[in-house]
Amino acid sequence: MENLGYLFAAYSIIFVVIFLYVVFIWRRQAALDAELRTLEARMAALTDETAASTSGDSQSDA
Amino acid sequence: MNSFAIRNGLGYVTLALMIAALFMVFDYVPPEAEQGIAQLIFYFHVPLAWVAFASFGIVAIAGIFYLWLGDQLWDDLGYAAAETGMVFCTLMIVAGSIWAKPIWGTWWTWDSRLTTTFILWLMYVGYLMLRASADDTPQVARFGAVIGIVAALDVPIVIASVRLWRTIHPAVLVTKQGGHGLEDPRMVATLLVCLAAFTAFWAWLLMLRFSQLRTRTRLGALAVRIAFADAALSDSK
Amino acid sequence: MLRKDLRLELRSGESTLALLALSMLVLVVLVFALDAARVRSFEVAAGALWVAMVFAGMLGANRALLAERDNGAIRGLLLSPLDPGTLYAAKLAAALIFMTVAEVGAVILMVLFFNLEFDASIARLAPILALGAIGFSALATLLSAITGRTRGGDMLLPILAVPIFVPALIAGVKASAAALAGVPLDSMGQWLKIMVAFDVLFVTAGYLLFEHVVGED
Repeated sequence: MENLGYLFAAYSIIFVVIFLYVVFIWRRQAALDAELRTLEARMAALTDETAASTSGDSQSDA
Repeated sequence: MNSFAIRNGLGYVTLALMIAALFMVFDYVPPEAEQGIAQLIFYFHVPLAWVAFASFGIVAIAGIFYLWLGDQLWDDLGYAAAETGMVFCTLMIVAGSIWAKPIWGTWWTWDSRLTTTFILWLMYVGYLMLRASADDTPQVARFGAVIGIVAALDVPIVIASVRLWRTIHPAVLVTKQGGHGLEDPRMVATLLVCLAAFTAFWAWLLMLRFSQLRTRTRLGALAVRIAFADAALSDSK
Repeated sequence: MLRKDLRLELRSGESTLALLALSMLVLVVLVFALDAARVRSFEVAAGALWVAMVFAGMLGANRALLAERDNGAIRGLLLSPLDPGTLYAAKLAAALIFMTVAEVGAVILMVLFFNLEFDASIARLAPILALGAIGFSALATLLSAITGRTRGGDMLLPILAVPIFVPALIAGVKASAAALAGVPLDSMGQWLKIMVAFDVLFVTAGYLLFEHVVGED
C-alpha cells in the first residue's frame, strides 16, 4: 500500500480540476442570465415606447 | 426528445458510470503485481488520453463545417470542444506525471505517449490563446477553425515521428505502460467501464458548455436586433 | 503576380541581414550554452543548426508580415483579382528564399563553430534542409497571416508554430545528425518520409485554407 499517497493525489486532482471547470461554467451562466435580464428589460421598454407612440398618433388623428 | 432531456439524461448516465468505475477500480480489479497500487492511476489515465484526442478531433471537424457552412453553431461547438479537451488533456498529463513518479522514479519522461499528449496540450494552448487574445468576430472564428484543422491533420505525423524518435533512441526508462499486459479479464472490464465513464463525462461537459455558448450567441443576436429597433424608434421620433 | 509580390518582399532587404545576424547570434549562444568547443558532436551541431533555423524563420515570418502591414500592402493585395491560392504560393516562395539564405549562413557558421568539416556530409545535409525549409515556410506563411492580424500576434506565432512543427523538427534534426555522421541518405528513409509527408500536408493545407485567412476585417 506504499504508493497510496500518489493514487490519492492523482484522483483528487482529477476531481478538483473538473470541479473548477464546472465552477467556471457556472459563473459564465450567471453572466449570461444577467445579460438576458438586461435585454428583457430593454425589450419591455421598447414595447411600451412603441405602444405609447402609436396610441399618441391615433389620438392626434381624432 | 429535446436537447435538454438528452443533456440531463447524459448527466445521470455519467454519474452512474462514474460510480461503477470507481467501484471497479477500488474494489473489483486486482492491482498489478509489479507496480502496486499506483498502477490504478492507469485506469483513469488512458480514458483521459482518449478523450483529449477525441475532443481535438471535434475541434477540427467543427472547424471544417464552420468554414464550409458559416453557421456560428459550428464555431461554438469547436470552442466548447477545445475547452473541455484542454481540461482533460491537462488532467491526463498531470495524472501521467503522478503515475510516473512512483513507478519510474521521475516526474516526467519523454516516452512516446506522454510526449505526443504534451504536444497536443500545446496545440490546445495555442488555440485557446488565439481565441482569448482576439475579439469574438467571425474572422477570428475562421482563424480558429484553420488552426484546429491544421493542427489536427498534423497529429498523426506527430505520433509517427515521436514513436520513431523513441524507438530508435528509447527513453532512459523503458515504459511498461499502455494496453499491453492486461492479462486479467477483470482489468479489461475495468478499463472499458472507465473509458465509458470518462467519455460520458466529457460528452456531458461538452454539451453543457456548448449549449451555453449557443445561448451566448443567440443573446448577442438578440441584442443586435433590439439595438436596431431602438435606433429605428428614436429615428422616427 | 508572383514577381510583384516577390519584389514587395525583397524590398525589405534589411530583413535578410537581420535574419542572418540572428542565426549567428543564436549559434553563438548555443556554443556557450552547450560548451561545443570541447568535443565534436554531430548531434549537438545538428540540434544547434535547427534551433537557429527555427528561430530565424519565425523572426523572418513576423517581420515580413509587419513590413506588409506598415505599407498597407495587405489591403492592396486583397483588392487585387489574385486568387488566394496563388497569393499563398507567392508568399511561400518569398519565405522560402529567405529561409534558404538563412540556412546557408547557418550551415557555414555551424561548421565553423562546432568543429566540423566542409565535406560530403554537408552536401548530404542539403536535401534535408531543403525539406525543412519548405515545411517551415509553408507553415509559417499560413500561420503568420493569422497571427499578424490578432493582438499579441508576435507572441502567438511561436506557440502555434512550434508544436505543429515538432515532427519535422525531430525528423530534421535526426536526419541532419545522421548525415553529418556519414550515414547515406537512403538509410534515413523513415525520417525523410516524415518530412516529405509534413511538407505535402502543409503546402496543400496552406494553399487550400489561405482564402479563409485573408478575408475582410
